[in-house]
Amino acid sequence: MAQLFPKEHVLGFIGSIVLTLVALSVIQFDLSLTAALVILWVTAIAQASLQLVLFMHIGETDDKKSIYVATIYSVVIGLVTVFGSLLAMIWGY
Amino acid sequence: MSKHNNSVPLEYQGEENDLKIFGFWIFLGAEIVLFATLFTTYFTLVNRTGSAPTGPELFEIGPVILETFLLLTSSFTIGLGVHAMRLGRVKPMIVFYIITLLLGAGFLAVEIDEFITYVDHGATITSSAFLSALMTLLGTHGAHVTFGLLWGIAIIIQVSKHGINKRTANKAFIFSLYWHFLDVVWIFLFSFIYLKGMM
Repeated sequence: MAQLFPKEHVLGFIGSIVLTLVALSVIQFDLSLTAALVILWVTAIAQASLQLVLFMHIGETDDKKSIYVATIYSVVIGLVTVFGSLLAMIWGY
Repeated sequence: MSKHNNSVPLEYQGEENDLKIFGFWIFLGAEIVLFATLFTTYFTLVNRTGSAPTGPELFEIGPVILETFLLLTSSFTIGLGVHAMRLGRVKPMIVFYIITLLLGAGFLAVEIDEFITYVDHGATITSSAFLSALMTLLGTHGAHVTFGLLWGIAIIIQVSKHGINKRTANKAFIFSLYWHFLDVVWIFLFSFIYLKGMM
């Protein structure tokens, strides 16, 4: 039975719950917008990395370099789309 | 590409299996960009609420926390499912996959209830630009979960019929990647729509 619940997975699950609770602090406490956004970005990126590395086994085969390149490329394109649009249309530059 | 020997888990063995998993990662890259464009629309239109209800008026933390825990737990259980599969334990694997889908169905039920509540408050997809962007983004994620439930049922049927072999292990592993990815997307919805919207 214990064999079916490996330590890394259980710790990863606990970690993801802790990160969720930390993220919830932004609505619990009266934080500045900057502080709140830093907390949200840090917890979201930590959560996403935890899923990718621990649960999705992103780095376990010889393909890992290509998988990392493809994934990071998509993330960069996504971030440029989001922040490029905000820069041009919302933030008024 | 991987060496085609027995040192890699069953789902990677053989060139076709290996390439299918690699190809699925490329697909997930396209999904990342899809959700990024929907997030872009949302962030651009978030303040264009017109006379319709705004985010802070609509969002309730209770159901959102419930959705988050259902999806986080389902991501954990499907991880355990893949772990059981790698141990060659077909029964626990199927049990973990069934629990995963039940949690996913629970998530979907809460989300549908949330949408019904929105509509009751006069917030429909045509009420404002904000609501169009919000419901398109949430709805695209919800549609992915719905599709995942059907796909997951097909995986469970195949594994229970044929056991764990190169083909079924490959399919079950690719499904697990999809399911974890939905959890990753949810984390961003949770943080940047709900929490940011309720600040």
